[in-house]
Amino acid sequence: MAQHQITLKPDGRSIEMPTGSTIAEAIRQAGLEISQPCGGQGRCGRCAVIVDSGNVRRRSTIRLSTEDVEAGYALACQTVVEGDVALQIPEQEKIIRRLVTDRTVRAIDLPFAYDPAQLQNVRVFELNLSLPTLDDNLDDLARLQRGLADQGLTDVQVPLPILRKLGDTLRNAEGSFWAVVDSDDWTRPIGPARVVDLLNEAIEPLGLAIDIGTTTVTVFLVDLSTGTVLSSAAEYNGQINYGEDVISRIVYAGKNDGLLQLGDAVRQTIHTLLERLQKRSQIDPERIYKVTVAGNTTMAHLFLGIPPASIRLTPYIPAANYPPTSTAKALDLLVNPLATVDMLPGVASYMGADITAGVLSSKLQESDDLTLFIDIGTNGETVLGTDEWMVSCACSAGPAFEGAGVLHGMRATQGAIEEVWVSSETYEPSYRVIGGSKPSGLCGSGLISLLAELFVTGVIDRSGTVKLDLDTPRVRQGDHGPEYVVAWGKETVGGKDIVLTKVDVENLMRTKAAIYAGFSVLASKVGIDLADVKRVLIGGAFGQYINVEKAIQIGLLPDLPWDRFHFLGNTAVLGAYMALLSRQAREQVGDIAGAMTYVELSADNLFYDAFTAALFLPHTEITRFPSVAEIWEVENGATPAGKDQQS
Amino acid sequence: MTVETPKEAWTGTVREVTLGATADQGGTRSRTLTVGAESTLPFLHFEASIPNPPALALEIRDRKPDDWSPLLYEAWGDVMDDPAAWAKAAEEAGADLVYLVLSLTTSDGSPNTVENVRAVVRKVLDATGLPLAVIGAGQAEVDNELLVAAAEEGKGERLLLGLCEEKNYRTIVATAMANEHLVQSRTPMDVNLAKQLVILINDMGMPLERIVMDPTTGALGYGIEYGYSVMERLRLAALQGDKMTQQPMIVTPGEECWKVKEAKVGEGVPETWGDWEPRAIAWEGITAAALLHSGANVVVLRHPENMRRTRSMIDELMSSKAAG
Repeated sequence: MAQHQITLKPDGRSIEMPTGSTIAEAIRQAGLEISQPCGGQGRCGRCAVIVDSGNVRRRSTIRLSTEDVEAGYALACQTVVEGDVALQIPEQEKIIRRLVTDRTVRAIDLPFAYDPAQLQNVRVFELNLSLPTLDDNLDDLARLQRGLADQGLTDVQVPLPILRKLGDTLRNAEGSFWAVVDSDDWTRPIGPARVVDLLNEAIEPLGLAIDIGTTTVTVFLVDLSTGTVLSSAAEYNGQINYGEDVISRIVYAGKNDGLLQLGDAVRQTIHTLLERLQKRSQIDPERIYKVTVAGNTTMAHLFLGIPPASIRLTPYIPAANYPPTSTAKALDLLVNPLATVDMLPGVASYMGADITAGVLSSKLQESDDLTLFIDIGTNGETVLGTDEWMVSCACSAGPAFEGAGVLHGMRATQGAIEEVWVSSETYEPSYRVIGGSKPSGLCGSGLISLLAELFVTGVIDRSGTVKLDLDTPRVRQGDHGPEYVVAWGKETVGGKDIVLTKVDVENLMRTKAAIYAGFSVLASKVGIDLADVKRVLIGGAFGQYINVEKAIQIGLLPDLPWDRFHFLGNTAVLGAYMALLSRQAREQVGDIAGAMTYVELSADNLFYDAFTAALFLPHTEITRFPSVAEIWEVENGATPAGKDQQS
Repeated sequence: MTVETPKEAWTGTVREVTLGATADQGGTRSRTLTVGAESTLPFLHFEASIPNPPALALEIRDRKPDDWSPLLYEAWGDVMDDPAAWAKAAEEAGADLVYLVLSLTTSDGSPNTVENVRAVVRKVLDATGLPLAVIGAGQAEVDNELLVAAAEEGKGERLLLGLCEEKNYRTIVATAMANEHLVQSRTPMDVNLAKQLVILINDMGMPLERIVMDPTTGALGYGIEYGYSVMERLRLAALQGDKMTQQPMIVTPGEECWKVKEAKVGEGVPETWGDWEPRAIAWEGITAAALLHSGANVVVLRHPENMRRTRSMIDELMSSKAAG
């Protein structure tokens, strides 16, 4: 058989191989390493190399795009040599980055050019007041108002707590001091302005953007003078102890002092996060003069201490979609007591400010492209529309992708397994951990990735049941039913096996099915084919990275070209951040809330039917997922069920 | 004035499935049972061909059941003590298929055994030339053990093995494939679930020609309308070309009807309910008739009188007169 010269860069090594050898074989023969977590099945794509010159034949390019192939990329395990070849072995980490489409959550950049003088309503004004004399006998209050009027702020209100310290501040500083002024609030737009603090030194005022999720609370600490995010933090919502979904929280709120307990629980979570920010950034919480909050309608009610009972009862009307502006003191929030607290407006009982804020940050409303916005959170909200129209729906998806309700689930922090590959020959997994340490659990992206791998390699069947008859110790009967062992105890932080149980799989399946059913029914209700969607914008706090391909494989996302998907991270907190910075952005949130039509999914049987059809991997109609059918065929060597079969 | 009957041109056909194997085919049955292959809704002969009439199965047990209606004990008498005699009586009553349901325990209360099941299956196969279904008692672990024994004992006979359910199907399907049998897939009254289980079984390598689908039914007055519409939707999907819903359907009105008060109880019921025996028999018969109209290809019955009545209805609906 003909021998060919294979040159391997950057090492420069060279080796002779016969026609028909794979590049992977050549690399190993030459004594070099190539990563093959899937066992050389052409599935994980981590063995991609660049063919500079020579004759090769690619047997499979499943993990490569057309552009990749044009650029010379080939999978080492799936490409055979047919002549002399020169190729490059890229650094492994670079390959991982390349394999995902836009999976990196956007860095928290300034969302727009920020000029506080134009956009910000909380600003610090330097005052140089003349001290009172027998001739200039204006009282302190009028003197302060006169000084502010000189800077263009008329009719400024001075609340009692400020008045109490005005005299001392004025005299001790000999008339030179700084006033923090909030020039408008949202119940009374464009004024009147209000003094919120008096200071002896110039400071940068701070703001806090909060997303109160049913499962996760996220905060951004923002410097209001520059608009930059100083620090951010997230934690599970302390209310989880009183129920995992909004319905059980509403029920709890109706019992004795349940409403108070739930309010305290979320305040406690926010305070825990504040302490964390304080430690990290050495800030004084008294300097936080403005708080903007996004959250679903139930979370808004509980945070504001408004009984939410009517949300749950037909005709599902909340106390307020546009809650009035409040203050930190009224809400017992440990920031400056006079700070403005603005709960952003929502649309309906099950379409809250988290989504209006999310839409704002996603910029859905700025393009005429047909766009699908999906918030992959506990309540599975979806918005479909363009700059001219928007429809929305919500479904109870559950907290599984946030790592809750899953035995070894966790938030996407240090120690979370965020991506998994499973060998289809040995069923052995390999995984990547956030922070590169030992694993302590699985975050949302890790769970999506694991579920997809178990399905594609046939460890679970299409209904999600673990096949206990496989010849591997990784599958076993556990305390919670059949399970798959992702990491043995000796590899983990806690020393215990990390497993995915039958119950976990069921929770993940229900979550993904509810989300898929939600947007597919929404699309069909307005007569739109999902294939016509030009952009899919995805928000959610499930992980730092999300692999589009795997999310499609489990049937969470529609089978569209990968470049149509954009992962935006936690869009609700980004929207709250924008509203914190700019009064125009704040107005836009209100406009979005007003423009959105809410579709009630429980009105007929369509949703339930779509849900049970989606409760399968990837879906009962595999023809909706042609790219998955193709992979399934390669892996299982059989025609996928549901494809045309001759009887 | 002539009225033209509107006709629907369906693109799909119900899959043809044959149960039982004759000596030529590697079994010992004197006849086989073929169901399915129609390209229209039930009995609409003017629209498309319906090559195979719906079939009647008769449910027997591997031992005399403890909790059946007294009317059934009366109707069958002593044959219930011997599965072979019962199977023979079923054949005489006009059954197309003997539907043998295994019990969890033997008559002395001890757990059923592999040996007992083998012996019963052998006896029943020897007693009648009809195709045979062997159905587990409904506890996954026990079923898996007993059905493997039954499958091996009847190797090559193209038995119908069941019940395959979403949470327990792999062992039954594997043994059915290894021993050349068919399987009954049962799902709880839902179009998607019915379809999903067919896909799961087919994914294991079982040909679709060897799967009979049981979408679950309820008795008249006990959810039949829901079951009826699920079956109707499955059949409409099949005729519209959805491959995974094209399995012939089997349902168990006998089991469902004989456990409801109207059939089971003779005393302490309102007088307006009328006489017990005719009421009870009619309950099963009417339920079966409704199910045949929703697309059932096999109905599993318990009372011999309903074998006669249902057969007569089917014959009439399948005759050329009905076709005209």
